[in-house]
Amino acid sequence: METLMNILREIDDSIDYEKEQALIDDRLLDSFGVITLVAELEDAFDISIEASEMVPENFNSAGAIYKMICRLQEI
Amino acid sequence: MKTKKRIILFILILVLLLGALSFVIQRVALGMKNGIVGRSRAFATVSAEAKETIDVLVIGDSESYTSMSPMDLWSQTGITSFDCGQPGQRIQETCFLLKEALKTQSPKIVILETNAMFRDPGFLENISMSIIEPIRYYFPVFRYHNLWKQIFDGKKDPGRSVFKGFEIRDKVVPYEGSDQYMKETEDVQEIPKFVRHYMEDIKKMCEEKNADLLLMSAPSPHNYNYKKHNALENYAKENGLPYIDLNMKTKEIGIDWKKDSYDKGDHLNLHGAQKVTAYMGKYLTENYSLPDHRGEDGYQEWEALSVQFQAEVESRSLKAGK
Amino acid sequence: MSYDSLLYVLLFLPICLAVYQLAPKGWRRRVLLAAGYVFFYLFSGTLLVYLLGTTLLVHCIGIWLEWLKSEEKAAAAAVPGSGKKAVKAEYQKQSRRVLFLGTAILLGVLAYLKYYNFFVQNVSGILEVFHFPFSPEEKSLIMPIGISFYTLQAVSYMADVYWGKIKAERSLEKTALFLAFFPQIMEGPISRYSDVADTLFAEKPLEVQNLQNGYIRILWGFFKKKIVADRLAIAVGMVFDHYTSYSGAVVAVSAVAYTVQLYMEFSGCMDIIIGSGELFGVRLPENFRQPFCARNAAEFWRRWHITLGVWFKTYIFYPVSMSGIVKKWNQYGRKHLGKYITMLGTSAMALLPVWICNGLWHGARWSYIFYGLYYFTLILLGIAVQPVRDRVLSICHIREDSRGWRRVQITKTWVIIFVGELFFRADGFRAGLHMFRSIFEDFQIRQLWDGTLLELGLQQSDIAVVVAGCIVAAAVGMIKERGICVRERLAGCRLPVRWCAYYALILAVIIFAAYGDGYQKVDLIYAGF
Repeated sequence: METLMNILREIDDSIDYEKEQALIDDRLLDSFGVITLVAELEDAFDISIEASEMVPENFNSAGAIYKMICRLQEI
Repeated sequence: MKTKKRIILFILILVLLLGALSFVIQRVALGMKNGIVGRSRAFATVSAEAKETIDVLVIGDSESYTSMSPMDLWSQTGITSFDCGQPGQRIQETCFLLKEALKTQSPKIVILETNAMFRDPGFLENISMSIIEPIRYYFPVFRYHNLWKQIFDGKKDPGRSVFKGFEIRDKVVPYEGSDQYMKETEDVQEIPKFVRHYMEDIKKMCEEKNADLLLMSAPSPHNYNYKKHNALENYAKENGLPYIDLNMKTKEIGIDWKKDSYDKGDHLNLHGAQKVTAYMGKYLTENYSLPDHRGEDGYQEWEALSVQFQAEVESRSLKAGK
Repeated sequence: MSYDSLLYVLLFLPICLAVYQLAPKGWRRRVLLAAGYVFFYLFSGTLLVYLLGTTLLVHCIGIWLEWLKSEEKAAAAAVPGSGKKAVKAEYQKQSRRVLFLGTAILLGVLAYLKYYNFFVQNVSGILEVFHFPFSPEEKSLIMPIGISFYTLQAVSYMADVYWGKIKAERSLEKTALFLAFFPQIMEGPISRYSDVADTLFAEKPLEVQNLQNGYIRILWGFFKKKIVADRLAIAVGMVFDHYTSYSGAVVAVSAVAYTVQLYMEFSGCMDIIIGSGELFGVRLPENFRQPFCARNAAEFWRRWHITLGVWFKTYIFYPVSMSGIVKKWNQYGRKHLGKYITMLGTSAMALLPVWICNGLWHGARWSYIFYGLYYFTLILLGIAVQPVRDRVLSICHIREDSRGWRRVQITKTWVIIFVGELFFRADGFRAGLHMFRSIFEDFQIRQLWDGTLLELGLQQSDIAVVVAGCIVAAAVGMIKERGICVRERLAGCRLPVRWCAYYALILAVIIFAAYGDGYQKVDLIYAGF
């Protein structure tokens, strides 16, 4: 979780990731933010995120992102 | 139950609203007469005629109102006639135009120019016309809804002079094709089913009004051939209707395709129409007993219009002479 | 029988509604499906086989993919620990091949029908340059109605099954209905299976509320299409067909007029289509969200023809940006080139295919490709100048969401849209360029009031109605932008008020619509794409 937070802050440090629950729906993270994020996550957690994971539910909050990472790591 | 009642009430009020609007707009339309442009003019003008004054009603597409000149017929025989054709008329329009005219007129003869009987715009368009025409008939607001524009813009166009549905077309564009376009053949052109269906309605309306229905094919090499002639001949026989094919009588009528054609053998110009009218006038007086209204009380308007018509014809021919 | 015809509203819809309601449960879906095929047949006749073929193919591919998934699970369960990954990869590979097969066939058919002649023209052009004696011949190909729309839906269905977002549909009937629901055949919205499946297959009985909502929406669509769009179509056609005879000022006005026409027509038809769906209790996805409130080109495309934008984003943009090449570039770039350049490169790589496809989707013409590239350039530019823009704003103490700044942005976006649509409508790229240049070289503002505008086939009364119609539509749009649903608000009013509003809408359409004497039917623009 700590690694994730660091990555997120690196992309945009003006957002309060602890509280924010609608990163995508409120357009705080744009398409490119997400893509950068995905690339970082893949490196950091050794997972492969497919295009099918690109749905708002997976990226709307730090918690949701973390959940997705855990799910992908299990595979 | 409550919602059902509400829906019925809603529709009822809507129908009343449309009816009221239609009533008003019909009045306005009748007042504007020839000021109305487009397809609706025939409807408005025939309804605006004085009641029970027309003895011969001519219906059909553009072939009808370019072939019969009511003012010439009047000055030669005293028969009152009216052209209520529309360009490219569909059979549904023919039917409802007749229905509209019969509301205020009881013609002795209804002449149906037959070209519209072969028009088949396809299944969907036919269905569509069969829905639209009754709606327009019962709720004229759909027919004349664009009138507000003329009122808004102010009448800029004084309107061309129209003589009981006839306009003076003196342009000459000769027909260069063969005189023998009515070559005899056994082939028969098909009359579309929709047309047959609406023809039944037309026949019935005429019967109810005691009007004789007369089928007439105007001279037009562009539109007619022997196949159509056969079809109409058969149709007339089956239904006990009289049929005149003027294309078979162009010599008798004296049609000169070099001078009498308006647009290369599609429509007749003024000269052609006058020849056809003279011929038809003779035919009508010989075969029917139609009253001569000349000099009668209540027909002064016809006298006046006739004078205006002659004057305009003369001024046109003068211009052409120069 | 397009959606804006009386035949559709007065005959086809009522018959469908009646038969639907009378049909027993289990048959209602079939009624809708039959209606779809009748509708399709009336436009394209026997070309219906294309749709039937697509349906069958998509259905089989869906089930095949689903079967591979279950096999994968079984196989993975049988293998211990470390072997699992290899097994999965093997099945992934197979699934990908199946998906590729289905997509290739569908897009192949679309490409052949839509782009073959365009391809031939360009190839012969090139061959001519080299004095090559042989050149391929053009063919007269007829596209079935709505192929550009249902093909995208079909592809999205297969991809969603492949990704496991949805389960493959077992019933062929349902798959068929998904691709042939009659309101959306001609021009979308391009729905995804998960958007519509629950309501489309529900077979709910008709409800008064749905009927009321649906019919109001349909009327509103008629208002936009018949009162505004069909009138503008006359003048716009006049200028674009004889563009050499008009000065830059008239061209500029006509570009604006065309944009308004296109919006009123397409969004109006969407209202009729979505309203038609509502009658049956089916919720179709929205295609427009006040596009003229957009603050930049990218946002415009999130508000205009939304379903197309979402499709490109989901099935082209994301897959491309997740692809190996882009990922590698990302890794390399961030190590050696810095964040800014990497991001620009990534954006360009992912956006270019999207916008080329967007242009080509509208038709096989260079001017459409230019239209796509136009937006590609603008959006990329927007990303490129973002850091500079942010700094300038903070130095000048302009708040991002202040009213004034928002207005500036919206106005700028309008200009972008108008110029884009000018090229979109122009008869070829060269004509578009000529028109665009005339705005700068031959403006002649005088032509705006010397009567030229009144000679474009519209009378003063027409112009007055168009302006009034636009004001009403803009007002409704502004209320919607604040998150208020006008229809719901109206339904909450007292009965007399509500009914007066309904009657006013009905009578406005009957009296002011452009039909009857002096008007001709205007074909749907998007049905041609």
